[in-house]
Amino acid sequence: MKTSSPPNKRTRRFFGVAIAATAALVLSACSSGASPAEDEAPADLVDSGQGIETVKVAFPGSLANLYIGQESGILNYYLAANVQEGLVSLDSEGKFVPGLATEWEMTDDSTYVFTVREDAKFHNGDTVTPEDIVFSIEQAADPVASPGTSFYLQGMASAEVTGDNEITVKTENPNASFLTNLSNVGALVVTQQAFWEEHDGKVGTSNSLLMGTGPYAVTEFSPDSHVVLDRVDTWWGEQPPVEQIRIDFIPDENTRLLAAQKGDIDIAFNVPLKQANSWQDISEGRVDAVNDLSYAGLLFDHEVAPFDDPNVRAAIATATDSEAIVEKLLHGYGEVATSIMTPESLSQVYDADAARDVLSNLPHHSFDMDRAKELLEDSSAADGFTTELTYPNTGPQLGTAAQSIAENMKQLGVTINVREVPIEEWLATIGDGEHGLGFMWYFSTTGDPAEVSSYLLGAGNDSHFDSAEAQRLIAESDAALDPADRVNILLQLEEENHKNTHTSPLWWGQSLTYFSNEIGIKDFSPFTFLGAWGPQLYAAE
Amino acid sequence: MTATELMQPDEQSTRTKSLVRVLARTLGIRLLGVLAILLVISFLTFSLVYLAPGDIVKNLLGNRPTSPEAVAAIRAQYNLDDPFLMRYFDWILNALRGDFGESIRLQQPVTTVLSARLGYTFALMSLSFLVALVVAIPMGVLSAEREGRASDRLASTLSLVGLSAPSFALAILLLYLFAMLIPIFPAYGGGSGGLDTLWHLTLPAVALAAGIGAILMRMTRAAVLRELQSDAITFARARGLPERDIRFIALRAAAIPIVTSAGLILTFIVGGTIIVETVFALPGIGSLLQEAVLFKDIPVVQAITLLVAALIATITIVVDMSYLLFDPRVRAKELNK
Repeated sequence: MKTSSPPNKRTRRFFGVAIAATAALVLSACSSGASPAEDEAPADLVDSGQGIETVKVAFPGSLANLYIGQESGILNYYLAANVQEGLVSLDSEGKFVPGLATEWEMTDDSTYVFTVREDAKFHNGDTVTPEDIVFSIEQAADPVASPGTSFYLQGMASAEVTGDNEITVKTENPNASFLTNLSNVGALVVTQQAFWEEHDGKVGTSNSLLMGTGPYAVTEFSPDSHVVLDRVDTWWGEQPPVEQIRIDFIPDENTRLLAAQKGDIDIAFNVPLKQANSWQDISEGRVDAVNDLSYAGLLFDHEVAPFDDPNVRAAIATATDSEAIVEKLLHGYGEVATSIMTPESLSQVYDADAARDVLSNLPHHSFDMDRAKELLEDSSAADGFTTELTYPNTGPQLGTAAQSIAENMKQLGVTINVREVPIEEWLATIGDGEHGLGFMWYFSTTGDPAEVSSYLLGAGNDSHFDSAEAQRLIAESDAALDPADRVNILLQLEEENHKNTHTSPLWWGQSLTYFSNEIGIKDFSPFTFLGAWGPQLYAAE
Repeated sequence: MTATELMQPDEQSTRTKSLVRVLARTLGIRLLGVLAILLVISFLTFSLVYLAPGDIVKNLLGNRPTSPEAVAAIRAQYNLDDPFLMRYFDWILNALRGDFGESIRLQQPVTTVLSARLGYTFALMSLSFLVALVVAIPMGVLSAEREGRASDRLASTLSLVGLSAPSFALAILLLYLFAMLIPIFPAYGGGSGGLDTLWHLTLPAVALAAGIGAILMRMTRAAVLRELQSDAITFARARGLPERDIRFIALRAAAIPIVTSAGLILTFIVGGTIIVETVFALPGIGSLLQEAVLFKDIPVVQAITLLVAALIATITIVVDMSYLLFDPRVRAKELNK
């Protein structure tokens, strides 16, 4: 009841702080000129050999289901990689290493024989049986039980137990990418048959959680809130130093940044590019950028005029200044893409530098406005046209790229209306038969060289074109069991794409990850988070 | 002595019985009205989510190659090929049997999903309502009593800030001030229950209370001011009644508009939770609704919309009924119907 001058003064002071704080926030939101990761000296961290009780991780969005057969986003794969295993895994260079199979061999072009690890146990202590693995493969291939992964196992003919610790998997035709599909980065995460049946196949929910064989078990899952992974003593590998990994879902990017500045977060996935500077300014942490096997490109619907005309498609591709987009708009966090395949996807054949050499020699549309003008004048849309280009709210970099393309095309008399939409709405525009121009933004999990190109150029593609030549090359690459032969065929497929501008590559992406300086990670590479990354963490000093 | 105290016991009991009868009749009519409204809302919501852009199949499968079998399996599982009206009637027949279906996004029964979230949102709403009441009503009363003075102007300025600041900006500002600069509150999350949850919910509740508290403060000020300037109060002053009694008379007379606006803002809180829960990463009904709408998770959207609509209807009925308690004129009018 007694309000007089003292509270009034306090209020004024509060306003002062509030205005200063608002100004600071506005400034941090506006500052966007981040420098590429190469310019940053990574903190010189040494493994202290100490254990860590809990590592707090922030994901930029919630997972709805933890089973990758049910929800197959890149974050689902990252999480599952600590909990469940396939028959094989990928190491930090993208090469196959043993998972639940200690060894494997191909007895003929279509037959894989796996020797199952004898010391593998589920989180409940039960031994992993070959029957459990075959059951998991069958579920992963079932379109009803696992709509997210069944596509990858379509070419499987059979999976059988053929010995005490032996499984034989046959494909209908020789399939070079098949082994990838039997790894945790493809379609197979092994679970226990009894567990699956106990939950009637509804695994990965907050009630059922997951049953796996990896170094961590899910002990708590609350969608839109958090998931807790606890270290187990049933894993066949070396005991990791981190006891618990708690992953919080924090959708608001400002809240995430504040939480990290406050010291509440040890690792943050997918730091937004526009906030890179603010995250780098956190004195107790560092931001590491790494190629994330992602591909961004332009998608044309060949059934929507005027994109049925190859010259129109080529004109847009030629009027796109990818170098400026990568340098100025992505702040260097990415590489100009000269092909659909990422350099990392060639890792079975080439090292990183050699792969870049090979890919940069491929024919591609270089930025040239005069040439773009000629192409458009030679097309069915010489008088210009108007179209819409949507991009997802989760990819603001696609939005700035869209503005750049629209600006260039305006000079040629083409109006591109750029529109941001929720990611769910954007997904529905891909291949909807209405949007002639769109983005393809794809995060590869397998690192297989044909994963994206066969999706974009193969039968039933979202661009609605049927290219006998492209399909022939894809079939040939599937059958080429020698990795070098296969890459050569896929390079021809890239040339075929360029010749017709079926689709136009823009950039290969990088992801920014924030680490507290108290946490170190061994072998940080594009493949790290696709393997069991929990054991890679260590207490740094 | 009041009129009731002067009545004979028999007469009083008859009056009470007829009041109960009147109340029951009014309530009955109102409840029927609410049911009709809920039915209309369920149809509208179903239609809007159905028409909204987006594709459940793409939302479930994501941006990756899929087999026609997987697409067909999802379309069959959620009856996506059935005509719109058939899907609506299917839903409503099941809902009438108490089966609200399964969340498409979370693959769990809607009732399980909602029950896991209600606690947070209920606690958040209660806390913010409490904060708004405790701060705004005394401030409004004080402001009216000191009309035109410095404290009135200060309170008005504060309410203007509360009204005009968007809740997401206010939430971020509060986070910056009280989680970062003066680190006394956590930045995100719902806590581990009990006092920890209360601690986690304080900043979100304040962010949510600011806007609604401002409305409540302005309404209270206007109502009390009007009463203080009324003939009744002038007469009471002329009779030499003590200031405390005068204040009581004014407050009692102003109670109806204050309670009405308090009820109204309680309904605003429900909408406000969507933004505040997202900013503070709280697993409540608001953030669930946002995700469900984007995902076209019709069963969850339907259940939350109806729950909120029923809650708002209940609040409105309770507020209306409270008039009988506060205002003898309304009570007398209802009894004489």
